[in-house]
Amino acid sequence: MTRMRLRASLSSSVLPIAGLAVGFVVWEVIGRLGLSPAFPPLTDVLTACAEVWTSERFLTNLKDSLISVAIALPPTMILGILVGLLVGRYRIAEWALDVYINTFLSIPLVALIPVLVLIFGLGRGSVLATIAIYTFFVLVVNTSFGVKTADASLIEMARSFMGSERRIVRRIVLPAAMPLTLAGVRIATGRAIKGVIIAEQVIGLIGLGGMIQRLGGAFRVEELYATILAIGFLGLVSMELVRWGERLAMPWMRGRLDSEPSPAANTA
Amino acid sequence: MIEIKGISRTFQTREGEFEALDDVSFEVRDNEFFSILGPSGCGKTTLLKIVAGLVKPSAGSVLVDGHEVAGPGEDRAMVFQHFVLLPWADVLTNAGFGLEMRGVPRRESRESARPYLDQVGLTRFASHYPHELSGGMQQRVGLARALAVNPDILLMDEPFGALDAQTRQLMQEDLTTLWDKEKKTVIFVTHSMDEAAYLSDRVLVMDTHPGRVKEMIDIPLERPRKPSVRQSPVFTDLTTRMWHLLRGMVGESDEVAPE
Repeated sequence: MTRMRLRASLSSSVLPIAGLAVGFVVWEVIGRLGLSPAFPPLTDVLTACAEVWTSERFLTNLKDSLISVAIALPPTMILGILVGLLVGRYRIAEWALDVYINTFLSIPLVALIPVLVLIFGLGRGSVLATIAIYTFFVLVVNTSFGVKTADASLIEMARSFMGSERRIVRRIVLPAAMPLTLAGVRIATGRAIKGVIIAEQVIGLIGLGGMIQRLGGAFRVEELYATILAIGFLGLVSMELVRWGERLAMPWMRGRLDSEPSPAANTA
Repeated sequence: MIEIKGISRTFQTREGEFEALDDVSFEVRDNEFFSILGPSGCGKTTLLKIVAGLVKPSAGSVLVDGHEVAGPGEDRAMVFQHFVLLPWADVLTNAGFGLEMRGVPRRESRESARPYLDQVGLTRFASHYPHELSGGMQQRVGLARALAVNPDILLMDEPFGALDAQTRQLMQEDLTTLWDKEKKTVIFVTHSMDEAAYLSDRVLVMDTHPGRVKEMIDIPLERPRKPSVRQSPVFTDLTTRMWHLLRGMVGESDEVAPE
């Protein structure tokens, strides 16, 4: 059993690294071939990374972007989950809000940023608003779907023991909705980073997005890649953090996640 | 005493109205082990849910000690066919969940449920999760959950229907022992003649399409019931009689709705 697990965890940690290594080699080769100024060799980019990531300009911009996410994301999450709960559980809320949710999910939100800039000006306000609209609707949809997965027989059981609506929501509906809600949180976190960069790019003055815009405009390709890579890492790290939080929040799912069939388990 | 008075229930389906129960009346005495026996689709589960207050009848009423049932109440607790445990809560929390739904704080609910978990023999598994238990053990948790709210009336909806034959027989023996110690009024829904005869004081045999009272059978077997009672001639006579009553119906319903 432990050997199987060891093998499973080994292959789950070795394979991504192997995949990355192949990608790096391909990148380096293409860069060395000098096909296009848009593809500098990886080694040049890594040198740029060392410089850029320690530069004060980068750190200030990073801090700027992170602060925007930190301000906008938590309240949007709470609101999104709350509205999702209402939409998932109460038909009246669903009827009233469904149109808005579907509309906002299907239109390209980038198109709204100029409107937000008109309202909030060329500053952090617009960035915060962008993060909010990028994350809110995903949270609503995921949470409401999660709420609907709550087992009707569990709710009936709770009712048979005279459970009130409040208790049923707290003890059955919310835990049942948790996997999808937390998946929503994970997606929203990713989208928050997307949102902050895109907004900053449109505004062009602040944060990592602004930095990308300026580096791109100046054809400083190596530094541009270094910044993009940093954003990629930021996304990865925040996803891992959320995943870790998920496992912490749902101990009953842990056994099931561990016992997921893996190739290693099949051969044993 | 539980009085079931002229209960009818119709459901709207795509093909029109479906009559699940038609003018069902009977009484269940205090501390009686009462079974409702019938083929699937005879409305016996609907009837039980009406007594539980989970389903409203289209006509008629249920009186418990003279009071009309308007919804779930403190005097009744239900045991479900498919156990219906919270997958994210451990066994002890599940056993205390009925209490929790009635407003007892979780920690207290868990503590109060302990003796009932003991009663169904699951003390060692208090901190396990449902998916780690066998079906029989899961249903024991379901039983402990119902007992923990200390109801006068236990409503059991084919509680052993999802279990294999051996587990089923063991559970029946444990249930009858438990009932001997703590005489509660039990309404037990089943489609097993054996089970009905072994456990009950009286068995109501139901007709199907629509569900009606077909016959009431007294079970004169002595208590406490031992497993060996199943081999007695009286027991065989009883189940044979039930079989004759049910056979006609199964044939009829097959003709009505071939599947």
